[in-house]
Amino acid sequence: MLTPAIALSALLAAAPATTIKKSAPPPLPADAKTSKEAAPQPEAKPVSKVDPKIFDQALEDYFDGNQKRAAAKFFAYVEATAQTEENYAWAQFFLAKSLIDLGLRHAGGLYLAKIARERGNPAVLPRALDELRSLTEVPHDERMIDEQVFGSLDLAFLPDETSGFVHYHQGLWDLRVGSERWALLHFAKLKEGSVEASRAKFAVLVTRLKEHQGATQQMVDDFLELANDEKLSRETRNESMLAVARLRYELKDFQGALDAYEKVQLPPLHPGRATLYLEEAWSRYQLGQIHAAMGLLTTLDAPVFRDEFVPDKYLLRAMIYKDLCHYLPAKRAAKELTRRFADSLEVIRDREDLTKDPRLKRAASAQGATQRAFKFLQSITLEGERVGRYAGSFGERLYAHLTKLYDLAHAEAQRNYDERLNESVRAEADKLLRAAEQVRLMEYEVGLKLYERVKRGAKLVTPEEDPELAGSQVAYKFDGEYWNDELRDYRVSLKSRCIEEAAR
Amino acid sequence: MRKFLVVLWLSHSAVAIAQVPELENPGTIHAVQEREYRLNHELAFGVGVLPLDAFYKGLLLQLSYTTHFSDHLAWQVARGAYSYNVDTGLRKQLIRDFSVNPTAFEEVQYMVGSDIIWSPFYGKTAFLNKSVSHFEVFLIGGGSILNLANSTGGPGIFRPAVNFGLGARLFSSKHLSYRLDLADNLVVSKDKGIFNVPTIQLSAAINFGVTE
Repeated sequence: MLTPAIALSALLAAAPATTIKKSAPPPLPADAKTSKEAAPQPEAKPVSKVDPKIFDQALEDYFDGNQKRAAAKFFAYVEATAQTEENYAWAQFFLAKSLIDLGLRHAGGLYLAKIARERGNPAVLPRALDELRSLTEVPHDERMIDEQVFGSLDLAFLPDETSGFVHYHQGLWDLRVGSERWALLHFAKLKEGSVEASRAKFAVLVTRLKEHQGATQQMVDDFLELANDEKLSRETRNESMLAVARLRYELKDFQGALDAYEKVQLPPLHPGRATLYLEEAWSRYQLGQIHAAMGLLTTLDAPVFRDEFVPDKYLLRAMIYKDLCHYLPAKRAAKELTRRFADSLEVIRDREDLTKDPRLKRAASAQGATQRAFKFLQSITLEGERVGRYAGSFGERLYAHLTKLYDLAHAEAQRNYDERLNESVRAEADKLLRAAEQVRLMEYEVGLKLYERVKRGAKLVTPEEDPELAGSQVAYKFDGEYWNDELRDYRVSLKSRCIEEAAR
Repeated sequence: MRKFLVVLWLSHSAVAIAQVPELENPGTIHAVQEREYRLNHELAFGVGVLPLDAFYKGLLLQLSYTTHFSDHLAWQVARGAYSYNVDTGLRKQLIRDFSVNPTAFEEVQYMVGSDIIWSPFYGKTAFLNKSVSHFEVFLIGGGSILNLANSTGGPGIFRPAVNFGLGARLFSSKHLSYRLDLADNLVVSKDKGIFNVPTIQLSAAINFGVTE
């Protein structure tokens, strides 16, 4: 990382001239123009001419670590200077950097995106793109950065590293709109062995997985290769390993699926994901390891997963109890689903607005595009509140401009989130309805078993002995207190009460 | 007859009530984990004190080697400790004020010994809900030979002792742990009978030869 002093000299050598010609003020950004229709905003004074030296002063403030003062001066300069001025793009760049440093990432991203679109200064462009790349790793405006910048950027004259990233993004957008052939053209230009190449492979495989109905061994092998690719982040490798597990489960290779689930690496003391435990529980159930499966269901009762939307949990628990002929607990476990999700089921049955149900809404907001939209909305809300904190230091014009910008961005983020939520909440409601139906069937079956006549001479099935602890193992009795390091290790000792028929 | 029926009804109800929790939540739950820390060959460097004697306080430096047969049983094959003794001033006061013969005061110079260690307790604890630490508590029993000498510089004499005590170990990593040993050497002497030499020690133990 460059120290501020080195960075300053490097940047100054790169271009910004210190003499600036006075010129007519540039038009306000598009967002600011349209924001006139928005709610009452702080009134800003008309743009006045600024001393060209303000750019140098702002740079000095920036490298002295005073981003608030620097931002106000850069903004004044950008407002009062023509786009054709040599320092205009630099001023935009440092304004963006100052805003990002102050935690106003969206506003900073907006100026960086303007640099990328206007391409006024070739020396600033790669730096702006690098900054935008960093912004893509946190909640960001996907339309503004991914689609309008990286998705439509002219790839000529870009440095190799940036061009790889842009190719990856353009391919990703092609994949999203369903054009795999175009996407592959972009991905083919990625450097073999680069991080982007690995991520592109993952994106293509995920897209194919979504489009194709059946799982194939080739897919398993491809995902397995990615799961062991050290160039990918741990999260992506885990996703690949989860995909391997799910595909193997589809192929009825339950032991293989279990091996894959066990290879999902969690950071120390990380609680993991509810879906991971539930899927592993299903695999163990299919393998007849019902005590371990029951242990994983115990894990899902941990406080950290209390708000997770996993209706299958109740169904699987009821199935295990039923298999061991514990009919009353089986019935109770089955009923627990309808009891716990009574409100949500009622909302579905009454055909009310599904997004009004907090449980369904939370479940829908917890994954995929809806989750990204939700996180962006949260970050915009937070940044909007942060603007108020800098009201004094920013001055009236910048404050008014940022207030309008964030109001608009918030409205757009809210609209985007609502749109995605409407789609995904329906999928969650379907999931719940399917589980509720299964549970009703289970209740019926358990009811039949409960009142089944016992034949003369019937005997209890000899209970399976609990496996003894190995010398290298240690057991802690569970008394309701969950420890994160134990979440994958619970084992339930449950004797079969079946008569005449063997447990699964 | 009526009394019998009442007793029968009550006992039946009691049995039924006792069965309710078992019916509702059958089974028991354990967290079964691979033991995270296992010891094999252990070399420990410790510092400690001999706190009991009113005439001097010994500052101990100890080196020991222990071999672990299992997670519960180990043999501290050898330990050797040197004591740097610091006078408390009581000796001078006795000589000056009461003319007590200095040879009457014996001090531990060094000691060697060997012990069996039994570790029945192994557990874990949470630190500020941020991290989990593992520990074990053990009992020590063995023998020692102490070299005792008086402060006037005469030749030291060897005394046998029975050593017993308890300790705790906090695991830091698979190769490093910290031990706190509280032990007492019960010294057998013909002329002075039996007397105690307790020790308090803190050691850093290096574990090597771990296979898993």
